[in-house]
Amino acid sequence: MKHDLQKPPASSFERIEIDSSHAERISKPSLSFWQDAWLRIRKNKAAIVSMFILAFIIIMAFVGPMISPHDSETQTITHANLPPKVPGIEKLGIMNGVGTLAGKEVDLYEMKKVDTYYWFGTDGLGRDMFSRVWEGTQISLFIAFVAALIDMVIGVAYGGISGYYGGRVDDIMQRIVEILYGIPTLVIVILMLSFMDPGITAIIIAITITGWIGMSRIVRGQVLKFKNQEFVLASRTLGATDSRIITKHILPNILGIIIINTMFTIPTAIFFEAFLSFIGLGLQPPDASLGTLINDGYKLIKFQPHILLYPSIIISLLMIAFNLLGDGLRDALDPKMKD
Amino acid sequence: MAEKLLEIKNLKQYFNQGKPNEVRAVDDISFDIYKGETLGLVGESGCGKSTTGRTIIRLYEATDGQVIYDGINVHDKKSKKDLKSFNRKMQMIFQDPYASLNPRMKVLDIIAEGLDIHGLVKNPKERKERVVELLETVGLNREHADRYAHEFSGGQRQRLGIARALAVNPEFIIADEPISALDVVSIQAQVVNLLKELQEEKGLTYLFIAHDLSMVKYISDRIGVMYFGKLVELASAEDLYKNPMHPYTQSLLSAIPLPDPNYERTRVRKSYDPASHNYQDGEEIAMREVTPGHFVYCSTKELATLQAISGSQV
Ligand SMILES: Nc1ncnc2c1ncn2[C@@H]1O[C@H](COP(=O)(O)OP(=O)(O)O)[C@@H](O)[C@H]1O
Ligand SMILES: [Mg+2]
Repeated sequence: MKHDLQKPPASSFERIEIDSSHAERISKPSLSFWQDAWLRIRKNKAAIVSMFILAFIIIMAFVGPMISPHDSETQTITHANLPPKVPGIEKLGIMNGVGTLAGKEVDLYEMKKVDTYYWFGTDGLGRDMFSRVWEGTQISLFIAFVAALIDMVIGVAYGGISGYYGGRVDDIMQRIVEILYGIPTLVIVILMLSFMDPGITAIIIAITITGWIGMSRIVRGQVLKFKNQEFVLASRTLGATDSRIITKHILPNILGIIIINTMFTIPTAIFFEAFLSFIGLGLQPPDASLGTLINDGYKLIKFQPHILLYPSIIISLLMIAFNLLGDGLRDALDPKMKD
Repeated sequence: MAEKLLEIKNLKQYFNQGKPNEVRAVDDISFDIYKGETLGLVGESGCGKSTTGRTIIRLYEATDGQVIYDGINVHDKKSKKDLKSFNRKMQMIFQDPYASLNPRMKVLDIIAEGLDIHGLVKNPKERKERVVELLETVGLNREHADRYAHEFSGGQRQRLGIARALAVNPEFIIADEPISALDVVSIQAQVVNLLKELQEEKGLTYLFIAHDLSMVKYISDRIGVMYFGKLVELASAEDLYKNPMHPYTQSLLSAIPLPDPNYERTRVRKSYDPASHNYQDGEEIAMREVTPGHFVYCSTKELATLQAISGSQV
C-alpha cells in the first residue's frame, strides 16, 4: 500500500481528548514526614542495631537487679573479690570462677567454699557486681535522661523566645548566653559542687547549667529561619495568633532537629556524669553510677579486672549506640543536614 | 471609575531605620485601588514591591503613612475583633510555591487554617466539605486533601495557596509575583486565568505584583511602575504600554520580546540612567498627572515637556 505523504487520509488521525483532571492526579502514596523518616531509618542497619542494644540495656537496667539472686547492698565479707561465674558458660572455660591468686590460677569459689554464682563476680566488700552494674546503669541513664530533658526544655524555650521575638529581647538574651558560654563549664561545676551536697541533684544541675546552650542556639537559628518563611506569613495574614504559629507551624518543623540534638545530648550527659564521678566530684557511696563503678574498678585493675570490665563495656555500648542512633535519626529526619 | 477600596497615602517602610544599614524599601508612595480592579505593580527585583504588599497587609508596621481600607486606617491600633475581621477582608498569595505551604501539614489543614482561625465551620465534616469545595474551585479535587505539599507541582502548589486565601472569602487579594517561580508558560497562564475567573465570579480586587511587564498586561486594568522604593509611573494598562512617559518605564517595555519578527528586528533595548533627568537642586519631584489618569514622577519642567509631547500626539 502506498501512502500519499502530502495528503494523509483523515482516517489516519485519531482524536485524543485531554482530560484535565488526569493531569492533576498524583499516583504516589501519600507519606507524612514521619512515615518517610521511618522508612529511611529502617534501612540504616547501624541505627537499628543500636536501637536494639539500647532497648536491651535499658530493660536490663531495671530487670537486672531483680533477676540476680543477690542484692546490690548486702556485704558478704567471705565472698569478697570473687571473679564472675555463670552456670552453663563456666564449662566453656570462661566465667568459671577461676582467678589469679598470688600468681597462680585457682578456682576461687572452691577455695572460699562459695556454692552460689556471682554472674559478674563481687567487689572488695563482697557485694554482687551484677546487681551493682545494672543499678549503676539505671542511675547513669536516669541522670542522662533528666539532664537531656531539662536541656531540651530550657534550650527550646530560651532559643525559641530569643529567635521568635527578636530585636532587643534577642540582643539581651544572646549577650547572656555569650557570657555563660565564655566561662569554662568545669569551673562552674567545681564552684557549684563545692557548696552543694554531692548527689544526683547536684550532678544534674551541673550538667544542665550550661548544657542547654547548644540546644538554645540551634533552636534560635531554626526559629529565625522559619518565622519569616512564607507559610508563616500566610498564617499571620489569616489572623493566626503567636501561639498558633509557634505550635502549628514552627515547632513541627523544628521538632526533628530538636530530637536529633537531644539524641546527642544524652551520651554527652552520660559521659560527663561518669567523668565527674571518676574525678571524684560525682556521686558519693553508697550511690553508684557507671562512673563510680569504673572509678572503683580502675583502682583494682591489676587484681580484679572484672570490676572495671563490665561497667566499661556498658558505658561504651551506650555511647556508641546513642551516637549511631543519633546519626541515623539525623540522616532520616533531616536529609539536607547530612554533610 | 468605581469607588475606592484602598487608599495608600505617603507610605514609607524603612528597614533598620537610623542605623548605617538603613534600607528605604518603600519611600513615600501614594496610590488608590478601586473596587473590582486589578492594579499591577511592576519593577525590578529589590525595588520594594513585596515590601509594599506586606506593609499594606500589616505584615510589617509602616514607618510612616497611611493605608486606608474602606475608609479605615489599617495601621491604626485596633481591637482584636476588628483585626480579625480585617484579616478576612485582605489576603495574600505568595511568590515561592515551595516556601508558602507548611511541609508538615496536610492540604486539608493548610486550606482549613483560615476556617479554623475564624471559626467558619462547625464540625470536621463541614470543614472537609468546605475544603473540597475550595480545592475544586482551583481545579483540584477531593483526593488531594489528604496529601502533603511536597507531593504537588509548582503550579498546583500555587493554586493551593490561592485556595487557602479564598477560604476566608476575602475582598482584596495581594498576589506577590504568583507566577514568577513557575517556569512553564502554560502553567503561568493557568494561574493567571484562574485569578481572572475568580475575580469575575467573586468580584475580587487585586494588587498584582510582577517583576516584568509581559504578563501583567493581560490581567491588569491599571499598572504602577516602581523604581527603588518610589512609584515612577501610574496609568491604565493600555495607556502605559502605548504611551510610556517615564524613561524607566520605557526601558522596562523595551525589554519585552514580542512574537513579531518585524518588531523584534527594530527593538532596541533602552537602559535607564537616573542621572539623565538632570534635576536641579531644590526642584520638587512628585507624582503629577500628565494626561487624565496618567501619573508620572517628574519635576514641573518635565511635566510641561511631557504634556506638550502628548498634546501634539492627540
Ligand atoms: N525584613 C527586611 N529587613 C531589611 N531589609 C529588607 C527586608 N525586607 C526587604 N528588605 C530590603 O528591601 C528592599 C526591597 O525588597 P522587596 O520588597 O523584597 O523587593 P521586591 O519584592 O521588589 O523584589 C530590598 O533591598 C531588600 O533587601
Ligand atoms: Mg518580591
